[in-house]
Amino acid sequence: MLPNLDDIEVEKINVRQSDNKTDKRTLNVDMNPMVDLAFLLLTFFMLATTFSKPQAMELMIPAKPKDELVEQEMAVKESKTLSIALQKDQVQWYRGITDPEANVIKYDELEDMLRSVNQNTDGLVVLIKPLESSKYANLVDVLDALNYSNIQRYAISDLSDFDLTLEGNTATNE
Amino acid sequence: MNPMVDMAFLLVSFFMMTTTFKADLPAEISIPFSKAQLKLPDKNICTITIDAEGRVFIGLDNKFDRKQMLQYVAQQNAINLSSDQAELFSLLSSSGVPLEEISHFLTLEGDERKAYYQSGIPISKENNQLRNWLIGSRLSNPNLRFAINGDGDASVAIVKRVFDILQDINITRFNLVTDTEIDASES
Repeated sequence: MLPNLDDIEVEKINVRQSDNKTDKRTLNVDMNPMVDLAFLLLTFFMLATTFSKPQAMELMIPAKPKDELVEQEMAVKESKTLSIALQKDQVQWYRGITDPEANVIKYDELEDMLRSVNQNTDGLVVLIKPLESSKYANLVDVLDALNYSNIQRYAISDLSDFDLTLEGNTATNE
Repeated sequence: MNPMVDMAFLLVSFFMMTTTFKADLPAEISIPFSKAQLKLPDKNICTITIDAEGRVFIGLDNKFDRKQMLQYVAQQNAINLSSDQAELFSLLSSSGVPLEEISHFLTLEGDERKAYYQSGIPISKENNQLRNWLIGSRLSNPNLRFAINGDGDASVAIVKRVFDILQDINITRFNLVTDTEIDASES
């Protein structure tokens, strides 16, 4: 049942009238300290919070070969390999191992290059060759390009003699 | 004033709910960019931090795991630590103190400890302490996942060495922490 609105109205008026007769003071609470505190907390949380959660790039590396298996490590055809030497603002890449022809491209062109090479080669293996000057950011760029061009097989490998002859390369070996 | 106060409290409660505090790292790290879209998990994660100088730090998300990890490493290297020291270690989100200095490090007081130069966990072949830390972390929590939080300017040689150590103890799957690339062409 809905309450009768007329009745309620009458009651309220009655209450107000009685209030006015007994107590005319209004209750005044000073809210300023509370507001100060609220804004203090607000600024604190705004500054302390991290909004952009970092992204994670998944990486799988092969399990450690057992000692007896080291002998029969897989051999890869030279023609199936693609080497990438990480320089500061550019990468040097070449196919094969003996007397290859080195090409230089920028990091942002890497993905397109890898994609087209991957389409033309079955079972492509990419060898990443970090130089002494190489930065971790360079490696991440290359891994990113590899992930996005669907290349499954890649390795971080040591420099070959040819890499050392490339201009501007110095060995990373300790 | 009331609407403003209402809004302020609304925002306070919003930030309180959503906030996750920045981990207190002893080094500044500027992570590299990538197009990876996977979110890094909050729980069960072991973060190996590599700063631009090549110092290596290890951190776990859980306080109790950290304590257990320290106990394992201390036991392996015959280092005696008091329960106060272990307690203190469990409060630090990450550590890059070589074992030779850790006992001294854990006796330092607040500000002194913050100012202490942590030279990083040794990763060389002769003195591979990171290996023990990683084994300890794994024993403390079998569900642990590993993430490498490297500075973009860190040398690849150091990162590769860390990969090798991970491979050596059969951790073959891990994450690289990166930031989303802002593609200028799309906006």
